[in-house]
Amino acid sequence: MSALSGLRILDLTDLRGALCGRLFADMGADVIMVEPPAGADSRRVGPFFDDQPHPNRSLFFWFYNLNKRSLTLDLSHARGAELLRALAGSADVLIESFTPGRMEQIGLGWEKLHRLNPGLILCSITPFGHSGPWRDYKADDLVLSGLGGMTYVNGFPGEAPVRPLGLQAYHSGAYYGAIGTMCALMARERDGAGQRVDLSILEATASAVEHVAPGYMSAGVVEQRRGTLHWTRYFRVGRCRDGYVMHCTLGDWTSLVEWVAADSAAQELLAPQWEDVSYRKEHAERLFDILDEWVKPYARPELLARAQALRIPYASVRAPEELFDDEQLLSRGFFVEVEHPELGRKFRYPGAPYLFSATPGKVHRRPPLLGEHTVEILCAELGLSPDELAALAGKRVI
Amino acid sequence: MARRAPLEGVRVADFTWVVAGPVTTRILADQGAEVIKIERKVAGSDALGPRRTGLQGDINRAKRSVAINMAAPQGIELARRLVAKSDIVIDNFSARVMRQWEMDYASLVKVKPDIICISMSGFGHTGPRTDYVSYGPTLQALAGFTLLMANRRAEPAGYGYSYADMAAGYTGALATLFALWHRDKTGCGQFIDLSQFESLIAVIGPALLDISVNGRRQDPPRARSQEGPAAPHGVYRCRPLGEDDDRWLALSVRTHGEWQGFVRAIGSPAWTAQPKFATLFLRMRNADELDARIEQWTCEQDAAQAMQLLQREGVPAGLVANGADLCARNAQLNARGFWMPVTLPDGRTFRVTGIPFKLSDAPPPAARCAPEIGDDNDYVLGEMLGLTRSEREALVGAGAIWP
Repeated sequence: MSALSGLRILDLTDLRGALCGRLFADMGADVIMVEPPAGADSRRVGPFFDDQPHPNRSLFFWFYNLNKRSLTLDLSHARGAELLRALAGSADVLIESFTPGRMEQIGLGWEKLHRLNPGLILCSITPFGHSGPWRDYKADDLVLSGLGGMTYVNGFPGEAPVRPLGLQAYHSGAYYGAIGTMCALMARERDGAGQRVDLSILEATASAVEHVAPGYMSAGVVEQRRGTLHWTRYFRVGRCRDGYVMHCTLGDWTSLVEWVAADSAAQELLAPQWEDVSYRKEHAERLFDILDEWVKPYARPELLARAQALRIPYASVRAPEELFDDEQLLSRGFFVEVEHPELGRKFRYPGAPYLFSATPGKVHRRPPLLGEHTVEILCAELGLSPDELAALAGKRVI
Repeated sequence: MARRAPLEGVRVADFTWVVAGPVTTRILADQGAEVIKIERKVAGSDALGPRRTGLQGDINRAKRSVAINMAAPQGIELARRLVAKSDIVIDNFSARVMRQWEMDYASLVKVKPDIICISMSGFGHTGPRTDYVSYGPTLQALAGFTLLMANRRAEPAGYGYSYADMAAGYTGALATLFALWHRDKTGCGQFIDLSQFESLIAVIGPALLDISVNGRRQDPPRARSQEGPAAPHGVYRCRPLGEDDDRWLALSVRTHGEWQGFVRAIGSPAWTAQPKFATLFLRMRNADELDARIEQWTCEQDAAQAMQLLQREGVPAGLVANGADLCARNAQLNARGFWMPVTLPDGRTFRVTGIPFKLSDAPPPAARCAPEIGDDNDYVLGEMLGLTRSEREALVGAGAIWP
């Protein structure tokens, strides 16, 4: 049993919205990604399997499209749009990320879809939303994470701001798009009526920044970059024997001081004023300088294990490669094996971050090959004849 | 015709604290769920800052608060009665806390058979590291963000804030909605074991497949595009704005059309016609020289004006917004009414982070300001649980609730 079994989603997004559909697919929804006959743009984005560019070898595509089916359809062709409307007639949700106005242009405007299927939910994922003076502006993840406040506060004073790792503006947009869609589905349960979800990635990005807006809105504070010092002043990166660690001065302070003192490292910390958490916050720079000296001789694994045994929330600064050997992730089955039969190989994918006791998420299919499910969807599900299919292929609609 | 809010009629017993859990329940409260925070009211309860404004005010708006002492047996009894009238129970403690109170799923399902419990612990309820203690920044260090968000000298910088809390927050809300959907369809509740650590790793993206499939070690991306080739691509220093000399423009050029637009926008200087910049391939190969040329131009420009100039020519560009740009000078966010006003008890207005999606057929978003701890004792204990005034006074005397 899956949480979302029976839910059908048409996914017309590409690069910037693709994670949204995957979130539904992982929980058991039937997600059909509709891509142009030449393939989605994301199939041309690297890295590629064995570094060989090919529409079926893009790891970028793989990541975002696990568990989906692929239907090729040229939506700019009248017959393509007509077939899409036929599919929309029995779908629960349509997710798209076209430039505002494009859906109307190709005969898939909201009025038309809503008349056709009053229960359909249309989720639009765009950089700035479908209204406002920036509606038609162009932006990628770099531009959106900058505009949304996610970038300015990372990095060192006097240097360029550091952008997030991964496409966090898009990812925030995808999660909030999925949340909005679920809310619209819950509302539909009452009276059967679908509605539009107008998701702005800029707004999702601004919603995924912790301190910038609250600081400005309450006190007019413009938060700055502080190197690795966290804005709360309880965390900073230090350098140890084999790399870096994340200091943390919250948690069991007495244990930390006893440990530091036992290493004869910094008797200064035994002074009683350091027991006060607000004093530690106020004198954070001095405190972390002392702790930097103390951690120098340690290796990361030893420091992490000893700190955690004392319930001190220290962490080692790790490379993502190390995640694949992380005992905790392995024990919980976070990485899932996905078989790619046509390559004769199995690969480990990051899975879902939650374990549902009654309806566990699972991998039911590897990312689709280009157009892999076109025949099955159009013939078996829409009832097209083989002749009609051949005609469509001849006109390059599919 | 605007309908009721999507989650109206859904009640959440909210045991969350700090940031990640409250972000999850903020999302549910904004959609009309009745979120009741169960909180301690002791010295130091204000360590996270003022309640009605700042971060606490932002993440706790639209919620209610009851001050129940979970260290007292009668306090636990009250909490269980509250759960019996709720749909969802959420916590972000480490795994042992709810078990210790007998408030874990196995216990609560006896109180309310279709209850949904979601626990957002740092590392999850199973596995050898289940008892590890963590905060957002330490999770970011363990996951690889801190190391790979490096400056030009390859020094780790990482986030200046707890993105992990925000990621776990939106992940928790989505998981809750999935479970709620399933319950409405089948009548069955369940337990969701969410790991904040895994929430963060789940959003790293395709880089993880590059490791597991190609065995490639990941370098800090710095100015390199993470969504296909682009040049120019990066953040460029701009002219000071008054006293503020920390102004930056983010810029991405991929297609030939965008390059032509860029050249027009900056006034078609002679260097742009050099063959070494003619194609994307060549611009990437000569990126250092290209970037230096571009920064000569941006250094003369106001970041916001440069953005408009470039956008008019169809070039993806935007200023790297600081707090004032984001909250006070963003015409788009203002036009869409993103920042949501809440009225404080003294009549002043505090604007909070809004809802990043608009539902075409739902009541316009509006929120009450965040409660002080115990503000809703009367409502929760009296109206909801039906305790008389004298019963409540006895519970205060027994130390089970704070007045």
